[in-house]
Amino acid sequence: MKFIGLVLKSARRSKRRTALTVLSVAMAVFLFSALRAVLQGFDAVSAASSAQRLVTIRSTSMIFPMPTSHGEIIRGTAGVQDVTYANWFGGIYKDPKNFFGQFAVEPESYLRMYPEILLTPEEKKAFLDDRTGCIVGDGLAKKYGWTSGDKIVLQPGIPTYGSQDYPFTIRGIYRTSSSAVDNQSMMFHWKYADERSIVKGQVGWYVTRVADPDRAAQVATTIDQKFANSPYETKTDTEQQFSAQFASMLGNLNLLLGSVALAVVLTTLFVAGNTMAMSVRERTTEIAVMRTLGFPSSTIFMLVVGEGVLVAIVGGVIGGLLARALISAEMLGLAGGFIPAFGVTNANVVVGLGLSLVIGLLAAVIPATMASRLKIVDALRRVA
Amino acid sequence: MGLITNYNLRSMIVRKGTAAMTAMGIAMVVAVFVMTMAIAQGFRGALVASGSNDNAILLRKGSTSETVSAVLKPQLPLIESMPQVARSADNHPLASPELVVIISLPRTSDGQPANVPLRGVGPRAFEVRNTLQFVEGRRFTPGMQEINVGKQAAIRFKGLTLGSDVRFGNAVWKVVGVFTADDASFESEVWGDVDLMMPAFQRDGYQSVTVKLVDPSAFDSFQAAVGNDPRLDLKPDRERDYYEGQSATTGALIRVFAIFVTAILSIGAVFGAVNTMYAAVAYRTREIGTLRALGFSRLRIVTAFLAESVALALVGGVIGCMIALPVHGLSTGAMNMTSFSELAFKFRITPGLLVGGLLFSALMGAVGGLLPALRAARIPVARALREI
Amino acid sequence: MALIELRDVTKSYRRDANEISVLDGVSITVDEGDFLGLMGPSGSGKSTLLNLLAGIDRPTRGAVRIGGTEVSALSERALAAWRARHIGFIFQLYNLIPVLTAFENVELPLLLTNLSKKQRRDHVMTALGIVGLSDRETHYPRQLSGGQEQRVAIARAIVADPTLLLADEPTGDLDAKSAGEVLTLLQRLNREYRKTIVMVTHDPHAAERATHLLHLEKGTLVEQTRVASAGSA
Repeated sequence: MKFIGLVLKSARRSKRRTALTVLSVAMAVFLFSALRAVLQGFDAVSAASSAQRLVTIRSTSMIFPMPTSHGEIIRGTAGVQDVTYANWFGGIYKDPKNFFGQFAVEPESYLRMYPEILLTPEEKKAFLDDRTGCIVGDGLAKKYGWTSGDKIVLQPGIPTYGSQDYPFTIRGIYRTSSSAVDNQSMMFHWKYADERSIVKGQVGWYVTRVADPDRAAQVATTIDQKFANSPYETKTDTEQQFSAQFASMLGNLNLLLGSVALAVVLTTLFVAGNTMAMSVRERTTEIAVMRTLGFPSSTIFMLVVGEGVLVAIVGGVIGGLLARALISAEMLGLAGGFIPAFGVTNANVVVGLGLSLVIGLLAAVIPATMASRLKIVDALRRVA
Repeated sequence: MGLITNYNLRSMIVRKGTAAMTAMGIAMVVAVFVMTMAIAQGFRGALVASGSNDNAILLRKGSTSETVSAVLKPQLPLIESMPQVARSADNHPLASPELVVIISLPRTSDGQPANVPLRGVGPRAFEVRNTLQFVEGRRFTPGMQEINVGKQAAIRFKGLTLGSDVRFGNAVWKVVGVFTADDASFESEVWGDVDLMMPAFQRDGYQSVTVKLVDPSAFDSFQAAVGNDPRLDLKPDRERDYYEGQSATTGALIRVFAIFVTAILSIGAVFGAVNTMYAAVAYRTREIGTLRALGFSRLRIVTAFLAESVALALVGGVIGCMIALPVHGLSTGAMNMTSFSELAFKFRITPGLLVGGLLFSALMGAVGGLLPALRAARIPVARALREI
Repeated sequence: MALIELRDVTKSYRRDANEISVLDGVSITVDEGDFLGLMGPSGSGKSTLLNLLAGIDRPTRGAVRIGGTEVSALSERALAAWRARHIGFIFQLYNLIPVLTAFENVELPLLLTNLSKKQRRDHVMTALGIVGLSDRETHYPRQLSGGQEQRVAIARAIVADPTLLLADEPTGDLDAKSAGEVLTLLQRLNREYRKTIVMVTHDPHAAERATHLLHLEKGTLVEQTRVASAGSA
C-alpha cells in the first residue's frame, strides 16, 4: 500500500528512540520465549511418554524399596510384555554440586524397555560385558568432557550403598530419540551396586511394558492388587502420569512462570506505549497538517497503529531469533536432574511474533486514537 | 484566543503521562524482582527458622543431609551422656534421635501425590525444639500409633486433620495433635515415635540426633568431645547452620531464576527511561541553554538531569514495592531438592529486600539517565537559546 | 460568479460564563478568480475566518458556502474528503514533514486520490515546475531555505488542482527577497492559472498583490475595497 512508505519514514524519525523501543520489545519476547520453553520442556516429557510403559513404586513413597521378587510376579501378570528395574544411586561426582541422574539398572532389559536410548552395537556389547561399565548421555558427556573409555569415580551418597568409592569405566555415550528419556544421566549395572550394598536385593522402581496400551490402566491396577496388604505395597501409574506427578512436585510452575510472563508483557506495554505517545506528541503539527490536507481521521489512526506494530514486530523478530539461538537448558547450566531439557522451537518464535504484534497494537491504540481525534485548529502552531 | 481552551495538545499524552509510564515500567521490574526474591527468602526463612541457636544436630561424617545420614542405636547413649547436653527438670538428657522418611499423600489443591516428610522423633523432641506449640490436640504418646501434624501439612495435604486415621508402614496411625512452629519447616512435617517408625519402614538405625546444649557457647567443646570419641563417626553442626545449608541448593536455583528474569526485564525498562529522558532534554533545550548562559557548569547540568532520572525511577521503585507487598505472607510450597520433600513456606519480603528493590530502581534510573544527561550538558549554548 | 459565500457568520467561544465573539455576523462574497487579502490587527478574527473557509473549524451561527456546497453542514468525514478535493492550504511556518523529501511532501495530498504512481509523479513534477523547484525534488526540508520550503508548500497546495487556495500569512517568516518571490508566485497562480486565493496578511506589500482587500476589526467587517491592478490580468 502506498501508505507503507509513510509508516516506514515515520519510524525513522528518531532512530535512537525507535531502536530502543525495538530492543525493549526484543527483550520481552526473548524472556517470554524462554519461560514458555521451560514449561514446554515439561510438557514435552509428558507428551513423549510411552503409552505402553508403566512405572511401579512403593505406595508409601518412592524412596522405599521393593524386593527383587516383585519383578517375577509382575512379569507373570496378564498383559505384561516385559519388565525391567532400576535404583536411584544419588552418588557424588567430585563435588555435591555436580548433580546428575545416576541409575543402577538391569542392563539388558532396561535397554530393551527404552528403545529411545541409542547406542552403537559395539557400545552396547561393551557395556553389557563390563560389570563396572556405564553409559552416559551425550549431554552429560559434553558437560564434563567425557569420552568412551574414561574412568570416573562416584562416592556413594546414600548410606545403603556402603562407604567405599565406586569406580566406573564409560563404555558408551548414548543419544536419545525422544524427550521421554533425558540425555543428562548415567546408567550402570544394578548388580554392581547390589553386591556392595549393606542391604541386598532392593529395587527402587519397576518399569513394565504392556502388550496393549488401551489396557494399560487395568494392568496397572492388577499389578497393585498383587501386592496389596503385603509388606511391600505398590502403586503403579502410566509413564505419563508419573512424569506429570514429578513435575507437579517441583512447584506450581504454571502459575509462577505464567505470572512472570504477564509481568513481562505489562512492562513492555508501558515502555512501548510511552514511546508511541512521545512520538505522536512530537508530531501534533504534522498530524494537523495532514488532516488539513484532507487525510481522514481513520487514516491517521492506521498510520500511528501501523508504526507501532512495525516497530514491535521488528523487536519480536530479533527477540525470537535470539531466544532460539541462546536459550537451551545446557546453555543455562540447568539441565541434569529434575529439570528436563528445553529449547526454543520455530513454533515458539512464531508465538513470540504474535505477542509482539499484540504489544504493538495495544501500545499504539491510545496514542493513535488521540492523534485521530486531534482538533486541527488547536494543533496548528500559530505565532500571534 | 480559542486556542487556549484546548491548548497543550502537546500534553494530550501529557508530559506527566510520559513520566508516569516510565515510572510504571520501572515499577513492574522492581515488583517482579521483589516478588521472586521473596520466594527465595521465604524458602530459606522456613528452613532457617527451624534452626535454633542452642541446638546441635549430629549426622554421620560426610553426609550432606539427614536423609542420607545414619546414626547407630548404640551411639545414642554416648551422646546423651555428654556434659554439654542440657537436661530436663527430671534429669533426662534433651536429645532427640530422629529418622526422616517420605510418605506420598495427595495435595488438597490439585490431588496430585506429594512427598510429605515423616519424622520419627524421640520422646524429648518437643523440649529440644521448644518453639513448637500445639494449636489442636496433644502430643503423641510414645509407644502408641499416634502422630502429630504440622499446621501447614494439615492444610496442604489430604487426610491429616485432627482425628484422622492415616495408613502407612503397614499400620494405621491416628492424628492426635496439630502444631505450629513459627513458620519453620517442621510445620510441613508429620511427627511420630521414632522407635515405632524404624520397624515400620524396615530401618534399624536413626539418621540424626538433635540435642539442646546447655548454652550456645558449649558448641565448641561439644564438637571437640564428639571428635575425640572414636566410637562416634559423627559430625555435629549448629542446627541453624545445618538448615541454612539445606536451603542452599534450591535457594540458589530460585535466586538464579529471579536474577535472570529481572535482569532482562530491567533492560527493557531502562530503555524506556532513556527515551523519556532524551525527550525531556529535547523539550527543555532552551531552559538548559539559559542555565548555561547564566553560568551553570556542565557538571551541574549533568547532575541535575541524572538526579531527575533517579528520582523518577525511585518513584517507580516505591510503586513497585507497593505492588509486591501484598504477596508477603502468602503460603505456597516447593520441593526441597536436598530432602526430596515438599516444603511449605510463606513469601517473605524483608526490609532489606525492599531497600534492595529501591536501590535497584535508582540504579536503573542512573543508567537510563546518564547518556541523556551528558547530551544535555553538551548542547552548544547559543544554539540552545535559539530553539523554540 | 460567487465562489464563496459567508452569510451572517458568527464564531464565539465560551470562557467561564461569558461568550467571547471572535467573528460577529460577517457576510462576505468572493468571486471566482479573485485574489482576496484579509487584513486586520491581531485578534481581529482573520485567521478564524480562514479556518472557517478551509473547513477546519465550524461557525457558531451562520453558513459557509463554497462552490455551491454548504460546507458548515458537512459531517467530519465528508468534510475531510471535501477538503482534500477543494482546498489548498499554505501555512505561515510551511509545515512540511521533515522525514519526507520535497517530492514526497508535494505528493502527500495525492495519496488520497486514486491516481496511479506514474500519474502522481506527473502531477508532482508539474507542480514543482510551476514553483521553480524541479531540481530540488530529492531534498529534505532541512536542506532548503525558508523561501524554498514555502514554495514546496505552495506546490503541495496546488498539486491536486484545488478549487480554492488559502494562505495564512505566507510571507510572515520570510526575508524580503523570498517574500517577494512567493508573492509573485501567488500572483502568477491567480492571473495565469485563474486560481481563487484568500490570503491573510499583515504585510502591506502582500496586500498590494491582491485584487480585493477585506479589513476586519474585532470580528466585524470594517472595509471592503477593490485594488486597482498594477497591470492587466
